[in-house]
Amino acid sequence: MTKEALRIGPHELEVLRRGRGRGRPPILLVHGISPIGAAAPFLDLLAETGELVSPSHPGFGNSPRPPDFDTMYDLVHLYLAVLEEMPGGRVTMIGFSFGGWIAAEIAACTPKKLDRLVLVDPVGVKLGGYLERDITHFFNTSPEELNRRAWHDPAKRPQGTYGLGWQTAIDAMSDEEMIVAARNWDALCLYAWRPHMYNPQLKHWLHRIAAPTLVLWGESDRIVTPEYGSIYAELIPGARFETIAAAGHHPEIEQPQAFVDRVARFLDGRNQKAPTE
Amino acid sequence: MELWNHCENPYPFVPNEVLEAAPSVRASLPNKYCDPRIAARLYDEVFDEYRLCDDIGLHIVTNEHHSGINNLWAASPVITGIVARITSNVRILSLGTLITVRPDPVRVAEEYATIDVLSRGRLEIGFVKSGATEMVSGDANPMRIREREWEAIDLIEKSLTTHDGPFSWEGKFFIHPHVNIWPRPYQQPRPEFWAATSDLPTCSELGRRGMVNTLLFGGYERTRQAFDAYKKARAEASLPAPSEGRFSYMAFCYVGDTDEEGLRIGQKIAWFLTVSIKSAPQFAKFQPGAIVPEMAPAAWRSGVSRRPRPTNLDAEALVGQGQMFAGNPDTVAKQIKEFRRRVGGVGHIIMMTRQGLVTHAEAQNSFNRAAKDVLPQLQDLPPLDADETAWAARREAAAK
Repeated sequence: MTKEALRIGPHELEVLRRGRGRGRPPILLVHGISPIGAAAPFLDLLAETGELVSPSHPGFGNSPRPPDFDTMYDLVHLYLAVLEEMPGGRVTMIGFSFGGWIAAEIAACTPKKLDRLVLVDPVGVKLGGYLERDITHFFNTSPEELNRRAWHDPAKRPQGTYGLGWQTAIDAMSDEEMIVAARNWDALCLYAWRPHMYNPQLKHWLHRIAAPTLVLWGESDRIVTPEYGSIYAELIPGARFETIAAAGHHPEIEQPQAFVDRVARFLDGRNQKAPTE
Repeated sequence: MELWNHCENPYPFVPNEVLEAAPSVRASLPNKYCDPRIAARLYDEVFDEYRLCDDIGLHIVTNEHHSGINNLWAASPVITGIVARITSNVRILSLGTLITVRPDPVRVAEEYATIDVLSRGRLEIGFVKSGATEMVSGDANPMRIREREWEAIDLIEKSLTTHDGPFSWEGKFFIHPHVNIWPRPYQQPRPEFWAATSDLPTCSELGRRGMVNTLLFGGYERTRQAFDAYKKARAEASLPAPSEGRFSYMAFCYVGDTDEEGLRIGQKIAWFLTVSIKSAPQFAKFQPGAIVPEMAPAAWRSGVSRRPRPTNLDAEALVGQGQMFAGNPDTVAKQIKEFRRRVGGVGHIIMMTRQGLVTHAEAQNSFNRAAKDVLPQLQDLPPLDADETAWAARREAAAK
C-alpha cells in the first residue's frame, strides 16, 4: 500500500505497489505528467484485477534524476530494465498520457515481453500536417485553457495535483505538494519539450507491437482528441479503440469505475479480437 | 567611467484596450498590432540616436528580445552590424544574442567576428541567459539553460580564438565537428566578454573568468552583493583584484535641464515596467526551470515574477532604490557617484533612456546633456575608500 524503492542498476525509483497477482501477470502502470497518487480511487478498483506496480520516473515524485538522464531514450532503456526485473515472465502494461508514449515505445521495442497493453489517451506520435497541432502544448498553454481541454467537466476537477491544468488548483496544495509538482513539471519538460510530446520515428515502429492492445480514450479529451486516438490505434496491429463517456484526458480519474470496467473486461479477454499480422 | 546608451526600441503604439485584454504582451500578442511603417520610423530614429552617440562619446548597447511590444530588435547581429557601419568612434556592446535560444553558437561566433571586423575592433560581446517568453518564441527548452549558456560561451570563445584550422566540438548541448570561422575577429585574442546577471554563483564564475559583470536594475544591495561575489571568487582563486572596469550597471536614466524635467520625463520610462513586461503565468512562474522546485510555494502563492522587480514605480522612488538616475546633469552625476560608492565601484553605467513613452527628441536632449555635462564629472574619479564603502554597506544593512 505504500511507496517503496525499486533499484535498477544505478537508478533508484520510488514505486507504488497495490493488489495481488491472482494468477495473472503483474500490471505495470506507467504514469503521465505526474506519479499516480496513492489515493486515486481507480487504484483500489484496479487492484481487484491483479498486482499493480507503478514507479515514478526519474525526476518525478521522489525518484532522483541522475545528471544527463533527460531523454525518452533514457526512459525507454530504464523501463526495459524494469520489465526484466519483474517476476513471472510477461507483464501487462498500462500507460497514461505521456506514460502512454513511454509504453508504446517499450511495446515496440520488446513485443514478446508484454501480455497485454493498454494505452490511455497516449501522446507520442505525430499524425497531422505541419499546421495541425495534434497535441495541445502542455507548457505554452494557459492553465485555464489546459483545464478546459483536459477535463470533461472542469468545474468538477478532482482535488489534488494530478492531471493537466494542475496550476489552477495550487490554492489547495501544501508546500510539499507544490515542490513535487514543480519537480514533475521540470522533469516532464526535460523529456518532452521538443519535439513536443512525440517521437517522429515512433509511428514507423508501432507495427512491431504484438500484445493484444486496448487504446482507451476520454470522449471529451481535447488535449489529444479521440480522432487522433483512433488513428493511433490503427497503427497498432489488432488494437481495439474504445472511448469512455464523460471523461477527458484523464479518464482513470474522472470515471474510475468505467475505466476499470473497460480494463478488466479487456484483461479477461472478453472484448478481444486476434491481432492481425 | 564610461556611459553607454541602451535602447530596446520599444513599440508603445498598441491600443491600451488591446494590451489590457491580452494575457501577455510578449510571445503571443498578434503581430497585426505592429504597423511596419511605424516600425520603420522607429528604426530610423534610433539609428539617428546612435549616430548622435557616436559623435558625442556615448557608447552603444544593442540587444534582442522576441515577439513583443518591448523591443523591435528581433536579431541583435543584424542591428549590431548596422551600428558598426554607421558609427566610427564609440564602442558597441551586443547584450546580446540569445545564445540559449540559438541552435548553433558557431554561427553566433561568425556573426560577432564579422561585426568586429566591420567596426575595426569596436565590438564587445555580451551574454544573457534569457528565459520566459523567449523560450516559447524560440522553442528552446527552458530547462538547463544555465548549463547550455556556459557551453555556448565556451564554444563561441573557442571559435573566436582558434586560428590554426578546424576543431571539433562534441558537447552536451552543441555538436559541431568542423569549426573554422571566417573572418576571425579584428581584436586579439578576442572582443571583451560581458554577461548580465545578478545570480551570485554566476557572478562568481564571471569573476574567475574575468568577464565584465553587468546588472540590470539590481538596486544598491543586490548589485553590491553581486560585485562582492565576483571579487571574492577572484580572491579565492588567487587572481588579481578586478578594476572597476569589470563592473557595469544598467538603470533607467533621464538627464533633463532641471530636476523637475528629469523626473517628469523619467516617469515616462516606467512604461517598461508597468506595461511592456506583462506576461502570462505559463511563460513566467509556471514555466519549467523558472525557479528551483523548493522555491515554488513562495513564487506560486505570491504570483510575483521570478525576478525581483521594483515595487514602487514612481520616478522618485526608482531613484531612491538606485534603479533610475534622473534630474539635472549635476543631480544625475551625484546619483551615479553615490551609486558607485554604495556598490563598491562600477566602471560602466548603461543608461536606458529611450524607453517607454520617451520621444526621439527627448532622448536626444538627454544624450546631449549626459555627454556634455554628466560624463565630464565622472572622469578621473578618486579611488574609492574601501573602509568608507564597507561602512555604507553596513549602514544600509542596519537600516533594514
